[in-house]
Amino acid sequence: MKNAKPTCLCLLLATALVSGPALAQEGEPITIGVPVGLSGANSVIAPAVVQATQLAVEQINASGGILGRPVKVVVADDASGAAGAQTAYNTLVFQNDVDVLIAMETSAARNAGLPIVEEGEKPFIYSSFYEGRSCSPNMFVNGWVPEQQVPPVVEKLMADGARNFFLIGSDYAFGRGMLEFSRKYIEDKGGKIVGEEYLPMEGSDWTAILSNLRSAGADAVITSTAGGTPNVTLTKQLRASGISIPYANLAVDEGTAKAMGADGVGILISASYLTAIDTPENKDFIAALEKKFGGEMRTPNDLSTPQYEAVYLYKAAVEKAGSTETEAVLAAFPEVSFKGPRGEISMSKQHHAPLTMYLGEVQADGSVKVVAEFPNVDPGDQCPDL
Amino acid sequence: MALLLDITTTAALLFIVSAGLFVIFGVLKIINFAHAAWLTIGAYTTVVATRMGFSPWLSLPLAVFVGGLLGAATEIAIVRPLYRRSLDAILATWGLGVVIVQIITLTFGRDMQMPPALITGTVDVLGMPYSSYRLFLLVAAVIMGLAFVLVLERTRLGLNAQAVIMNETLARALGINTSQVRLVTFMLGSAIAALAGVLLTPLSSVDPTMGISWLIGAFMLVMVSGTSVAALALACLCFGAAQVLVSTWISPILGSVTVAVLCAVVLRLHPKGFARG
Repeated sequence: MKNAKPTCLCLLLATALVSGPALAQEGEPITIGVPVGLSGANSVIAPAVVQATQLAVEQINASGGILGRPVKVVVADDASGAAGAQTAYNTLVFQNDVDVLIAMETSAARNAGLPIVEEGEKPFIYSSFYEGRSCSPNMFVNGWVPEQQVPPVVEKLMADGARNFFLIGSDYAFGRGMLEFSRKYIEDKGGKIVGEEYLPMEGSDWTAILSNLRSAGADAVITSTAGGTPNVTLTKQLRASGISIPYANLAVDEGTAKAMGADGVGILISASYLTAIDTPENKDFIAALEKKFGGEMRTPNDLSTPQYEAVYLYKAAVEKAGSTETEAVLAAFPEVSFKGPRGEISMSKQHHAPLTMYLGEVQADGSVKVVAEFPNVDPGDQCPDL
Repeated sequence: MALLLDITTTAALLFIVSAGLFVIFGVLKIINFAHAAWLTIGAYTTVVATRMGFSPWLSLPLAVFVGGLLGAATEIAIVRPLYRRSLDAILATWGLGVVIVQIITLTFGRDMQMPPALITGTVDVLGMPYSSYRLFLLVAAVIMGLAFVLVLERTRLGLNAQAVIMNETLARALGINTSQVRLVTFMLGSAIAALAGVLLTPLSSVDPTMGISWLIGAFMLVMVSGTSVAALALACLCFGAAQVLVSTWISPILGSVTVAVLCAVVLRLHPKGFARG
C-alpha cells in the first residue's frame, strides 16, 4: 500500500494535464464512462442499460457527434456493489479519464462511486430511480424518487374507493424507505394503514403475512419487495391465497410482471417509463432498438430508458456550454432538456427531474395498459442546499 | 382455523423439502449439500416439460426420473469413495451443487422462469377460502410419509436399508449387497428432492439459485430427526407451528429464523433431537 499514494498522485496529475486544453481538440472523441452491474444483483437489468447507451451513442455519432467530436463509450462492471464500484469508478475516472459518467446502479455502488467522481471532478448523471436525497454538486439524477412514484398509486387506489391499506415489503433500505413514504402519504390523504409487514430479502414463505393481510380488512395492498425472487414468491402466494383486493407493486418492472402470466394480471405499476407509452419518440426508440439489436434486444424499461435520455441530456449540456469542461457542463445541466421516450426531461429541480408518471395495469394478454398519466410530478425538496 | 391450516400446510412444505435430504442422511450418513441443486433441477424439469407443451403434472414423474438418473451418476462418480470421509463428502456435494447451478445458469440464463402452476384457485374450508395448492401439499406430504413407512417396513429394500443403518459390517456379512443399497438410496433421495422441486414451483420463483433458501431449513430439520420418519414429521409440525405463530403474532422477520434457532436449542438440550434411543 505504500506505493499506492504516489501512483494516485501521478494519475491525478496526469488527469489534470490532459483534461485541460489538450483534450478539447477538434476530432478527439468524447468519452462516456458507464459503470454498471454486469454481474451481481443488477445483472439481469444491466444488458438493457448497456444497449440503451450504445443506441444513443450510435445515433449521436451518425448525426455528427457532439460539437463535431465523435462519442465513445467505456463500460466497467461494478459487480452491483460498493467494492466493485470503487474499482470501476477509479478505472473510469483516473485511468480512462472519461469526460462524463452516466450510470444506472445500486445505491451501494452509487454511494461508493460519488466521492471518486468528486475527487476526479467529473460530471455524473445517475439514471436509476432510487430512494432519494443523495446530493452532490457533481451529480444530476433523471430517474424517479419516492415523492414521484408513490402518489399516482395511492391516488388511483383511493379514487377507486380504498381507505384501508396493507403494506408488505422486503426488509432492506429501499423496501422500508418506499413503504415509510407510502404510509406518510396515505395518512396525510386521510387513509388508514391496517398493517405493515416485512420479510427478510432471502425469505420465501409469505404464509403468515398473507393470513394477517386476510384478517386485517384491507381494501388494497401495496408491496415493495426486492426485485426478482421475493417479488415473484409474494405474488404467486398472494394469488394462490385467493386474496383479490387491488394490488399495487412499487418494485416490479414491466418485464417481470408480464412474465408472471396469470398471476401478474391486474397488478398496478407506477413508472416513468412503460413500453406502451403512445408517443412518436417512444415508438421510434423501440424501433431503433429492434433494428440495432434484433433478436438480442432487451426490452427497454424504467432503468434503461433514462440511461438513453441521459446521454442526450449530456449532449445538450455540452452543446450549451460549448465545451466538455466539468464546471461549464454542470452549470448547463439544469438549463437543458431533451424530449425522449418518457417525454420532455429536464433535471431542473435541485439536481432532480420533474417527471411524467404513468400508472400501468397488467392485462390478461400480458400487455401493460396505461390507465392514468400524471404530468410533471415534482420530485420535492431532494437537495435544498444545491 | 386459518392458523391451523397455515401450520399444517407449512409443516407439509417443510416435510416435502427435507424428505430427500433425510433419506440420504438417514441411511448413508452423508449430508448431501447438493440437495438445493436437486430441488432446482426438479423445478427446471417443470420449465422444460411445460415449454415442450406438456401438462405441468407430467413433470412430476419426469423429475423423479431425471433426479434418480442424476442421483445414480453422482453416487457412482463422486460420492462412492467418500462414505468414510464425511467432511470430504460435504465439500464434494457442495461443489457439485455449485457446478449444477452454473450449468443451469448457462443453459437457461439467470432470469426467472414462470412455468404454469399445478393447481390454482381456492377452496372453501368452513366458509373461508384457502389456497387449494397448499391443501394439495398437505395431501402430498401425507402420501410421501406413508410411502416412506411402507417402503422401510414392508419391502426388501427397506429391510436391507435398516440393516445397513444399524450395522453395516454385519449386514454385509449376512450377504446384503450394501453398495447396491447405497446406490438405490441415493437415487431415491435425489429423485424425491427433484420431486419436491416440482412441488415448489407454484409457490416459489424458479431461478438458478432458488434451492438455497430452502436448504438451511431442510438441513436443520434433518439434523434434529436423525433416522426416524416419525421424528421428521414431528419436527416439521413443531417447527412449522413455531414459525407460523411467531410470524403471525410477533414478526415475520423473527419467524423466518425460528426454525434455525429452535433446532440449535433442541440439539443443545437433547443431542439426539426428536429421534428416540
